[in-house]
Amino acid sequence: MPATTLQGLAPSRAIARPDIPHAVRGRFRRLKTALTVVLLGLYFLTPWLRWERGPGLPGQAVLFDLPGRRLMVFGLEFWPQDLPIAAGMMVFGAMALFFATTLAGRVWCGFACPQTVWSDLFFAVDRLIVRLVGKGAAERRLRTVAWLLIALATGIGFTAYFIDAPTLPGRLLAGQAPATAYATVLVLTGTTWLLAAYARERVCLHMCPWPRFQAALLDRQSLVVTYQHGRGEPRGRRRTPLRPDLAGQGFGEPQPTGPAPAAPRLMGLVAEAVAFSAPEPFPSLRGDCIDCTRCVTVCPTGVDIRRGLQMGCIGCGLCIDACNEVMVKLDRPEGLIRFDVESAPLRPLLAPPRVDWLRPKALAFGLAALLALGFSGYGMATLPPVSAHAEPQRNPPFVQLSDGSVRNDYALRLAHRRAGLAEVALRVEGLEGAQLRLGTQEGAPAPVLRIAIGPDRSLDERLLVQLPRADVPSGRHDIAIVLTDPDSGAELARLPSYFWGPER
Amino acid sequence: MAAPERDSLTGYHTTGHEWDGIKELNTPIPHWWVTVFLGSCLVAVLYMWLYPSFATTTGIFKGRLGWTSHGQLAEEMVQARAAQAGWRSLLTDTPLEQVEANADLRRFAIAGGRAAFNENCAPCHGVGAGGQIGQFPALVDDDWLWGGSLADIRQTVRYGIRSGHDETRQSLMPAFGEMLSAGEIDSIAAYVLTLSDPSAAASRARLPGAELYAANCAACHGAAGEGSRDMGAPRLNDAIWLYGGTRDAIRHQIANPRMGVMPAFAGKLDDDTIRMLALYVHSLGGGER
Repeated sequence: MPATTLQGLAPSRAIARPDIPHAVRGRFRRLKTALTVVLLGLYFLTPWLRWERGPGLPGQAVLFDLPGRRLMVFGLEFWPQDLPIAAGMMVFGAMALFFATTLAGRVWCGFACPQTVWSDLFFAVDRLIVRLVGKGAAERRLRTVAWLLIALATGIGFTAYFIDAPTLPGRLLAGQAPATAYATVLVLTGTTWLLAAYARERVCLHMCPWPRFQAALLDRQSLVVTYQHGRGEPRGRRRTPLRPDLAGQGFGEPQPTGPAPAAPRLMGLVAEAVAFSAPEPFPSLRGDCIDCTRCVTVCPTGVDIRRGLQMGCIGCGLCIDACNEVMVKLDRPEGLIRFDVESAPLRPLLAPPRVDWLRPKALAFGLAALLALGFSGYGMATLPPVSAHAEPQRNPPFVQLSDGSVRNDYALRLAHRRAGLAEVALRVEGLEGAQLRLGTQEGAPAPVLRIAIGPDRSLDERLLVQLPRADVPSGRHDIAIVLTDPDSGAELARLPSYFWGPER
Repeated sequence: MAAPERDSLTGYHTTGHEWDGIKELNTPIPHWWVTVFLGSCLVAVLYMWLYPSFATTTGIFKGRLGWTSHGQLAEEMVQARAAQAGWRSLLTDTPLEQVEANADLRRFAIAGGRAAFNENCAPCHGVGAGGQIGQFPALVDDDWLWGGSLADIRQTVRYGIRSGHDETRQSLMPAFGEMLSAGEIDSIAAYVLTLSDPSAAASRARLPGAELYAANCAACHGAAGEGSRDMGAPRLNDAIWLYGGTRDAIRHQIANPRMGVMPAFAGKLDDDTIRMLALYVHSLGGGER
């Protein structure tokens, strides 16, 4: 690997990776545990939240109602035609991800990605089982059982987003759930087992496309997990004496002390490369790294961060915790491995990272994320309560009636999502003397129709608009079919259409 | 043959070919690929054996399974009919007038009626049932020659009009061109035109056609031109003219009447389909109770 040759950091010995990464304590571990608990909790508990919507409507707070072609999220109801809102949320997600990556590397991968969260859960379970029963056949069987149970819970938890959650387990057990529910449980159990329990870090290393293009998002000011090469090298056993520049009082001072260039462009890169490739100046001394390999054995993807930022690093910070534990025991300052910017070698060793947070790239991604969020938020705030269409029936374009009046027919389709709306009022604007009637309705036509909407909140009717002979226009005449809420009088929808009369 | 040479750098065998000191490595296709390829060939042969796959001198090789696309269609049709069976039997058991009370049954019947209409009725009456002036009556308006209730429509569809069926609706308008003079026919046409004009109610009795109308036409079409559904005699006092509402067209219709023919669908369509058709036509906007 060219980077390794350049940095002169080929491992001094082969590092045996444990099949389960070692446990570690520390700041990032606590953060990761807290996030894992919160995210898994959100995933498993969300379907069980209730939200009363009224009779005939599902009482589940978050429900992907596929047969009803709607998505219920608390007080909001989304229809397929609201897809731009979902697209906006996806753009927001992507831009927020780019924003976070530009500022702080792969924090998403390390802390919030489902693959990481579930892998972390499986690692924890594996470590617990090994601690309880030790290694061996019993441990392997127990692990398999635990994996399958978690995977099954994940599968059922996922399915609960689509079917009424409280009754789902019972229906699944009784064999009364729809076949698609069983298929979903099976597929999600399978993928969870395959990806999170079995493949784990291999997904991050070989399957996920994200590491491949993160390099395009990171820049020299991105905060990433960094091994402080200048402080750690040459690594060596505890007994080897420490480099005097590290042991002495003026800690870190003899390092290149020139003011760090504000923007280390080409010359900065060259200086860094020379510093890395120069022969080690203290052959019989060591830096702060005692080559204990804790940073490798705790890494969920098994990378050696001391070889520099690499594709396998998911930025979870567990190696930082591991190294800090060791540094504390050695009575050395923490932060040999830390979140830092890549231009670190050009500063005194223990100086805190200087990050330029207001970078154009980060600002652009942040702005794009805000725009997308604003777009979706506006869409959610202004969801039309009614979806209605009135399609003129053009065959025949008009119907001549016995008394000389002329009728136009419209296919009227209506669906609504406003709580408590049981009736709509229908009238025609732009047509003097129009009389309305539904195809299924008995009795005389009226200028304003009141239509009762059933519990399924939809209508599919033939609307007949009739005009006395004296008022009939010649040819096409533009009208609007207006739907209002009869209680409040608020306009629900205005459907531009036309009325056709015999041409004179 | 000597043992194949092994390349020291890669550990691969060489093919034994050499060009200017450059040797070609032997990198055979992976086993899994060859296995999948041979497996695919096997599947292909199996497929050819099971399904109709090639022509013979006398026809085609039919395959072991005896599968045909016609057979598959027939099977799917049987399945579709079986899926409809519950609704169909419910439709059979429900009196025609009560179908509308069951919204789901009504939707089923109207969907079936629409399909049957497009297949059997649309060639004359049009896909939208708008008819054609001078040819076929519109079914969406409120004017009916033989009645617009569900039962009337059903009977018309079943037995047709002047269809030759024993139960057909039958009537005949005489050709007055041989009985009346051209002038008389013209004055009747002028009178008939005033029937649908309410402002002429007082003056029309003084027209020369009034007496002629009463003598020749009123028996079937009614004294006020209200028509008679028993005989399929159309209303003359409305705005709907099947064969045209100009004086010329009316004169022509009196002299040489045209009378439409509609085939009987009994025997061609089953009773359920005819009921669906009646419900569908009834729902188009002109249905009468």
